[in-house]
Amino acid sequence: MNYELVSGFETHIELSTKTKIFCGCTTQFGGEPNSHCCPVCIGLPGTLPVLNKEVVRFAVKAGLAVHGKIAEVAKMDRKNYCYPDLAKAYQISQLYAPLIIGGYIELSNGRKIRLHHIHIEEDAGKLIHQHGDTYVDYNRGGVPLIEIVSEPDIRSIDEAKEYVEKLQQVMRWVGISDCKMQEGSMRCDVNISVRPAGSEAFGTRTEIKNMNSITNIARAMAYEYERQVDLLESGGKVIQETLRFDDASGTTSPMRSKEDAHDYRYFRDPDLVTINVPRDEVERLRAEMPELPAEKRERYEAEYGIPEKDAALLTKYRRISEYFDKAIEGVKSPKTVSNFIIGQIFRRVETEADKEIFDVAVTPERLNELVRLLDSGKIRNNLAKSTLEKMLDTGKGALDFISESDMGGVDDSALLALCQAAVAGNPKAVEDFKSGKEKAIKALVGNVMKNSRGKADAVAAEAKIKELILS
Amino acid sequence: MVTREDVENIALLSKLFVPEEELDGLTKSMQEIIDFADAINNAPASAEGFDNINNLSNVFREDEVVPSYPVAEILKNAPEQAEDHFLVRNRE
Ligand SMILES: [Zn+2]
Repeated sequence: MNYELVSGFETHIELSTKTKIFCGCTTQFGGEPNSHCCPVCIGLPGTLPVLNKEVVRFAVKAGLAVHGKIAEVAKMDRKNYCYPDLAKAYQISQLYAPLIIGGYIELSNGRKIRLHHIHIEEDAGKLIHQHGDTYVDYNRGGVPLIEIVSEPDIRSIDEAKEYVEKLQQVMRWVGISDCKMQEGSMRCDVNISVRPAGSEAFGTRTEIKNMNSITNIARAMAYEYERQVDLLESGGKVIQETLRFDDASGTTSPMRSKEDAHDYRYFRDPDLVTINVPRDEVERLRAEMPELPAEKRERYEAEYGIPEKDAALLTKYRRISEYFDKAIEGVKSPKTVSNFIIGQIFRRVETEADKEIFDVAVTPERLNELVRLLDSGKIRNNLAKSTLEKMLDTGKGALDFISESDMGGVDDSALLALCQAAVAGNPKAVEDFKSGKEKAIKALVGNVMKNSRGKADAVAAEAKIKELILS
Repeated sequence: MVTREDVENIALLSKLFVPEEELDGLTKSMQEIIDFADAINNAPASAEGFDNINNLSNVFREDEVVPSYPVAEILKNAPEQAEDHFLVRNRE
């Protein structure tokens, strides 16, 4: 029997506000243990949490970025559980009235992964387990998080990977988080179940907690899918439980029940008052939103005729798209600019981290200047390409490498003379071409290009040479 | 009914030491507190009414960093500590 995978994600993203959600302690990553703490964030009795306004703004931006509805009224709730990573024995979160309702992430296959809601909450402290004892560092405790809860709309591992990538891309794009999975500023809980293909009813699901890389998400889902299918095939049943993924063995195993207590006894946090996001504030934030990556990609395709794959590369990180936008100002063919960026500049920024920063030696203004020279016919493509390499090596402008004598095309009579000279001077290549070796003509074109110092139009030269030989 | 054992148990969970001679008094107080909560629970009112009794909304702070406390000060009340961490011993 064929089984379909059904999955939903709960994704935690740390917001990059300067301070924690309920106190003025810094959110900086790292630091000496327990050095970013105060009575509020270590939960001492008698302290009063006060909500950071920027957390609400950032969460609203997140909501707008995924086309969600911003709630008129939002409230904070206490989620009770007793574990050393929570100093207060409860986490301040949202259950009954979250800040953002609905929304979606659209995948490249056209499917929309619907979001149930997005809520704001505080992060827990970090636990280090050693020799059976637990060392607790509350620096991360109280750092603001949003939790993005999707509907179980994901149907394959590829969809799951793309969902996480798209979420990461758009949240970075709107500037609310760096979404670094390896540093824990983005983490996913993956719900997964299987059902016979074509069936409508959901199977029993399991939840894999705290996944912190896309690679491991894919591995864990593949393992869990196989495990559940094997269970069902052999007449067994899937038990609803919380699992952890073991990186070394690539397998999932149940968490101890202590970490999986589900009686959270949520109730309204009496220390925190109701949040009413004013509609004019929402509209102001909406107006401030940058053009989103998906919109931009579509525009690049439709307006500039850039192939889908290239448009996706240009919009993967906001900085790259901004570079491109500057470099195409007033040029005839944005596609040429795109080709230069993807073909040549990308070779100099190999890692994803470098691509995200996109700090390249050639400024977009200088690339623009080079492309304008090309547009105006003053230089040819070959020369532009080799000049761009020199610009990338040195950071200098195009005119440092192109002299007046390099500029200007080769007119028809000059081209004819060059072609005639090439044909006359290379009888062997001419013979080869005549006897059917098509490639032999390249040697003749090369000769013309060399003698014109790259200024001749290679296509026109080839046509002219053929005409000379065959006439 | 709240019993002496309940109070002892709650004291243990709360990490509070309760002297023997205070147990009876505390049991009585605890019963009164629970009766009071029951009285409130039975009052005819909507959940909404209790939800935000002081009618406040949008109390925020600006996103400005305030110096944190010294580590020694933070760890001062920790039952146990080691290497600048709160230490939770394995009881198993
Ligand atoms: Zn604090």
